[in-house]
Amino acid sequence: MTPFERLARTPIAALEFANTLLTVPDAEIGTTPREAVWTHRNTTLWRYRSTNRQYPVPVLLVFALINRPDIFDLRRGNSFVEFLLGEGYDVFLLDWGVPGESDSDQGLDFFVCDEIPSGIRETLRASGQDEVSVLGWCIGGTLSLMHCGLDPDTPVRNLLLLTTPVDTSGSLYFNWTARDSFDVDHVADVYGSVPGRQIDWANKLMKPVTNYWTTYRRLWQQIYEGEGDFKPDAYQAMAKWVADNPPFPGQAYREWITFMYKENRLVRDRMRIRGKRVDLGNVDQNVLVVTAGADHIAPRQGTLPLLDMVGSEDVTHFDRPGGHIGLMAGSRARREIWPDLAEWLGERSDR
Amino acid sequence: MADKPNTETVPAPTPEQEVRRLYEEAESRVAKATERIVARDSFGELLAMVTENAVAVTRIGNEAMDLVLRNLRVASRQDINRLTRALGRTEDKLEQVLQEVERLRDELDADASSNGTTSRRASGSGSSRSGSGGTTRRRTTRRSSSS
Repeated sequence: MTPFERLARTPIAALEFANTLLTVPDAEIGTTPREAVWTHRNTTLWRYRSTNRQYPVPVLLVFALINRPDIFDLRRGNSFVEFLLGEGYDVFLLDWGVPGESDSDQGLDFFVCDEIPSGIRETLRASGQDEVSVLGWCIGGTLSLMHCGLDPDTPVRNLLLLTTPVDTSGSLYFNWTARDSFDVDHVADVYGSVPGRQIDWANKLMKPVTNYWTTYRRLWQQIYEGEGDFKPDAYQAMAKWVADNPPFPGQAYREWITFMYKENRLVRDRMRIRGKRVDLGNVDQNVLVVTAGADHIAPRQGTLPLLDMVGSEDVTHFDRPGGHIGLMAGSRARREIWPDLAEWLGERSDR
Repeated sequence: MADKPNTETVPAPTPEQEVRRLYEEAESRVAKATERIVARDSFGELLAMVTENAVAVTRIGNEAMDLVLRNLRVASRQDINRLTRALGRTEDKLEQVLQEVERLRDELDADASSNGTTSRRASGSGSSRSGSGGTTRRRTTRRSSSS
């Protein structure tokens, strides 16, 4: 580009940049057809039907309590749900919905002892099977793990845990929230349900320059250098998902911070839910643990103790490059991690 | 004979490329520096204080607003929350009843099939447990969002 062309390109690129940012809410995410199988409170169990079903054991996806589970089905051509359907799985998704202030009394026990078992039961009823594979991501992984640790008779055959926090000591969250001066009760009492924006703000504060500046600078660069060929779909889908932050139910927030960070109970074998000890020795499912090398939210070293704590004889660990979300939803995920997950699952999902 | 240095394969960067490289290097350094700052204990303390203040201000605002609404005889957020919780408890009980009904229905079906008879429900139009490729039975007890 000559200096004159560059000068002429700048206002066009600026318009394109503004348009990309302003139309983020219009991006289409979570477009794979699905049907509601069961609902309770805010929770919905969705079913995605495969036209190419090859494996009898259905897959139940469980996401975190922060952000929405649409990340499993981000956009056409880059959707993990779409990928699993193509591989021949019957896919179910446990969607926590958007809790309001009136849901502030929902603690971790509500999710671990009520919603996950109900989601599994309804998955089995809908699919007509006796066993299910549960894939939990981030907090969703920890909740699924707690469920398996609490109920030795759960019909979960395979347990896949993606970037799941277990031992939180050493993480940045631990540094911020485990200190006495962070009064989690005060936060939970006043807010009822902790606003998603605040949690998102804290997440972004972990890498402030990257999240508040570099992302936009790179977008500008892509648009400016794309010379009209820039496709905003990928950026907009991810930006829309990142900005969609449901509130965190107050009681669950209080217990998550207290149990997992202030007291680090899970790794100390002192986690009790509804008076019952979460015994990871009970986890005898086929277990796949996936960690991401550049994960700053659930660092790899905080997940690794799990490998020795579960009672299962079939434990596999995948350690991959990438971040907490980029590992599964980045542009390389389809080539680098999804096929490995499908292969691991396929070997354990036969009749 | 001594080898000639290979200067042709690596073209010298243009001034623009050089500026960009320097900028990206500086940005990367600033990013790492800020990440070190936010990982410090003192930043954690600062964050805890900022959070506490923000929460306190929110509480004062909420309480004042609730007081105004109550004096106007309008249902405040607390009142609505109380009602919603009561609805939630009712839904929980309904869910328990539904689970119990389904369990009993399954038992009846199992009994019927073990006796060599087919219950009207299993062969008729009533809802039943779907087969592996069958239809999905939908049960909704409260607000169902659309896809």
